[in-house]
Amino acid sequence: MSEEVQEKIVNVTINGKQIQAPSTLSAIQALWHAGYPRVKSVGCLEGVCGSCRVLVRKGGTAEVKMALGCQTLVEEGMEINFLVFPNPTHHTYDLKGIPNSWEVQAEFHRIFPEAVKCRHCHGCDVSCPKNIEVERGVQLATEGRFREAGELFVECVMCNFCMTACPEFIAPNHVGLFARRATAYFLFRPSNLIRRLEQMRQGQLTVAPGDDT
Amino acid sequence: MTKGIPYSEAVSRYQAVEERPLPDGDPDEAALLARFHPDNFADSVVDLKIGPNQGDRCHRALAEMLQADARIEEADLAGAPVVETDVLVIGGGGAGCAAALVAAEMGAKVTLATKLRLGDSNTVMAEGGIQASIDKNDTPRQHYEDTLKAGHNLGDPELVAAMVNDGPDVIRWLIQQGMQFDLDKYGDVMLRRAGGTSESRVAFYRDYTGLEMMRVLREAVFNSDVEVLEYSPAVELFADQSGDCAGAVLSSLKSFSHVMVRANAVILASGGIGRMHINGFPTSNHFGATGDGLVLAYRLGAKLRDLDSFQYHPTGLAHPRHLAGSLITEGIRSAGAYLLNAQGERFIDELKGRDFVSSAILRECAEGRGVVSSKEGIGVWLDTPRIELIQPGLLDKKFPKLVQLGERSGIDPKTKPLLVYPTLHYQNGGVRIDADGRSTIPGLYCVGEVSGGIHGRNRIMGNALLDIICFGRRAGLHAAGRTHGWNHKKVTMDHLSDHRRRLTFAGLDMDIKSPMLFPVCAKFDADSDYDGFHKSRKRE
Repeated sequence: MSEEVQEKIVNVTINGKQIQAPSTLSAIQALWHAGYPRVKSVGCLEGVCGSCRVLVRKGGTAEVKMALGCQTLVEEGMEINFLVFPNPTHHTYDLKGIPNSWEVQAEFHRIFPEAVKCRHCHGCDVSCPKNIEVERGVQLATEGRFREAGELFVECVMCNFCMTACPEFIAPNHVGLFARRATAYFLFRPSNLIRRLEQMRQGQLTVAPGDDT
Repeated sequence: MTKGIPYSEAVSRYQAVEERPLPDGDPDEAALLARFHPDNFADSVVDLKIGPNQGDRCHRALAEMLQADARIEEADLAGAPVVETDVLVIGGGGAGCAAALVAAEMGAKVTLATKLRLGDSNTVMAEGGIQASIDKNDTPRQHYEDTLKAGHNLGDPELVAAMVNDGPDVIRWLIQQGMQFDLDKYGDVMLRRAGGTSESRVAFYRDYTGLEMMRVLREAVFNSDVEVLEYSPAVELFADQSGDCAGAVLSSLKSFSHVMVRANAVILASGGIGRMHINGFPTSNHFGATGDGLVLAYRLGAKLRDLDSFQYHPTGLAHPRHLAGSLITEGIRSAGAYLLNAQGERFIDELKGRDFVSSAILRECAEGRGVVSSKEGIGVWLDTPRIELIQPGLLDKKFPKLVQLGERSGIDPKTKPLLVYPTLHYQNGGVRIDADGRSTIPGLYCVGEVSGGIHGRNRIMGNALLDIICFGRRAGLHAAGRTHGWNHKKVTMDHLSDHRRRLTFAGLDMDIKSPMLFPVCAKFDADSDYDGFHKSRKRE
């Protein structure tokens, strides 16, 4: 195994600009390397914020893939286009507005009425840069299996690619996040935390600044 | 010329072993920090020449920004639209969202402006977790003492007490926003131990704690009455007739124009300075972490503190080069990963405070016991295969982000160690605040990394996520109370003429503009899209 990564210079097209850059750079780094400013669609540069949405076509292929610009290393002949970030979803809800955990499923269908209309086109699955089983997650949520659905979205960075891809405007990532939030909101009741809160409420353990032990 | 042992030689020498001894004898900790901590590098610190902290020590790069000219003048605001609000929150990370949510819940009209998108912040990148004394063997008192001790007893006891007392309720509040934590089989919150602390006190969600927190808080804000202005960096604050803070000027990167926001209270939650790359270090920080809030607060007259104190996280990835600086959570050392030099020896207790551990890594590299990966690349081993050896499966289960980082590096952390080197991680100092997040300027609150005094000169893992939510909520609550009636007779930027006069008298360079807004690499000041804005001529 060679440890020194070979730094090859490759030709890529980013936002229509012909760029030469070392193959060890990401799409964003390559753009900067070539002297182009780039401020928008840049975020954590670690693949967890979902800002730098790009369309990528590898050299000599016809297929266009969706990816994150900070996670995409440039390759010879690659074409990359940055996408603008979409508007927020039209779905709104307040967890406090759900009276109790028996009502979550009914409320879910009221908040996300499109979820049951899933055509199983796999657009969301194909577009996900984190390889999440998005479509299955939506399916589980429509069945009220929120905990299972939420588990599928652990790695979701809310890049909204699946929202862009969905022809039924389901906003699958927001479905996943709803499933996760409802699980915490209604089911997480840690006894160690509750005990400590009670002790704090009784003022037993409160720290006053400055006093010594 | 970097000295050390070449990567290929060192990796072939490496073997995963269950137990390795620590070096004999107690290390001289004070000498270690004095010689190797980057805060003590020669020529890195200057005395401030103007402003409320005149004469205080400050890092050179930050001083340049604090003592620079503004990006705006009164004349630029002719015809600019005016927005009026009760509470203006500047910054869209965890602290800003917590402040906005609480202020809105109290009935205030809240506007949240953020430089990039809501959630673009260091919060989303936090991995290790959040501190709260929950364990039955733990107390807020121990949390208080650990925090002060790790900060070399230079933290503000009032702030630390407020934070540790709020800890358990912060976790409850987060769960009620819909945030998940890793639970044990009985449904209790699981806790891991942070370096330099006495008890297991860090609640977490895998190594995605920040991502989980941020996506939940972002969704909560978007589903609230808070008005969100994205791509709207604040470039100056307003003062009223008595010098109180009265709003801010935003430069919209979408409409390429200025917006004036008048507010009864401003909550600055703009984060830290990692992307200034001080002392030439790589950083684990978000693209937007350019210290803007410090500059805005300082020009308005707010007192800052500890401007020469920064945290270098011991384990930033050092190889491959395109991922340099990426953070590897301290949780991995908590789970049993050793740090080893090129000779395969441990050289420091891995769970000492971050300042000690980073200094020890820098010592190993300076004294020829580092692993050299390329012309600039050097580091020490993070012995992740040991975890696979002593607790098979734990890496996959609890550290998915690390495993992915390994995949992108072409290195399997289960069989091969990762090369690490300290990465610029956190600004220990910042704007001086009280327990309600109030700065020394009435109407200006500062919360999260932009504030100072909580962590002294060294922060422990998990106290940042606690600090942002604790003081974000406190400031949101207090600021919402300021909203009865409009108090500002006059909303001006008169403080700028004073600032410019002082710059001139001190002989400082007026060509440099601040806040910095974006890292040098992004070439913002050369971007023709933003020609209408004042550019920093030095930075083109």
